[in-house]
Amino acid sequence: MAFNPKQKILVVDDMSTMRKIIKNMLSKMGCKDLHEADDGAPAWKMIQEAHEAGIPYEFIVSDWNMPQLTGLDLLKNIRSDERFKTLPFLMVTAEAEQANVVIAVKAGVSNFIVKPFSIVTMKEKIDKIFP
Amino acid sequence: MSMLQDPDMEEIIVDFCKESAAIYADLEEMLEDYEDSKDSKKLEEFGQVIDRIMGAAKSIDATQTGMYCELGKTISYKASQSMDQALLDIVTAVLFDTVEILQIMNKTIETDKVEKVSGINLETFGTRLRWLADKLKNINRSSVAIDVNENKLDGQKSIDDLLADLGL
Repeated sequence: MAFNPKQKILVVDDMSTMRKIIKNMLSKMGCKDLHEADDGAPAWKMIQEAHEAGIPYEFIVSDWNMPQLTGLDLLKNIRSDERFKTLPFLMVTAEAEQANVVIAVKAGVSNFIVKPFSIVTMKEKIDKIFP
Repeated sequence: MSMLQDPDMEEIIVDFCKESAAIYADLEEMLEDYEDSKDSKKLEEFGQVIDRIMGAAKSIDATQTGMYCELGKTISYKASQSMDQALLDIVTAVLFDTVEILQIMNKTIETDKVEKVSGINLETFGTRLRWLADKLKNINRSSVAIDVNENKLDGQKSIDDLLADLGL
């Protein structure tokens, strides 16, 4: 499935600056249906509610390190629910530990991006997720 | 041109400074709580909170801020596993200084669009932080969510290589 800028995207990060930076990049790529959550816990609620309302999220971009529900736990919640088994999930990290990457891949992450990153890297990642 | 000086980034930079100022106040409070309680969880919490600024700072080209936050995170995480109170007293003092310098830089980012602190050589202070982080690096961690400096991958390329090995 190719990437469509019209897709409904959820950006999850506990730092509002990062949410703005990511949304700014996605906007420059033509994306308009952009939503945000400041932690994995509200994001998980939003994902379920959007699906139940018939307007599901089609792509999740999430930070790893968040206080209530981490990006990894959000990913595990998503993959444990049949409705979201194939929901594309891009993990954003400030530091990448080899072991953590392996854990996230096993949990079903679609790809990883390391802060700081450029719009070019973001686009490359999206192209890999949506070939 | 650095993103700090990019007019298109101005709104994001101003928001970053406001958000960071509130977080720095929280970090100071955590260190004060640690001084009162000697509860190592406060240092661990410090590491988790300063991590929030680190990624955003690097993303807006606030490289000194990003580096200080990264070292502050490493030092506080590692120190939270130490039982050496004399060392922990040094760590706490250095972390107070780190937060103070970060607060000053935060103000200069907002007003002058550069990271600077009058009268302090930021590189020298950074070297001091790296020395302390190095002193603490042999402490094994057991409880925090993310291990620092252990099998750390060196940037996006290393991650991409590992992801390719893992089939992504």
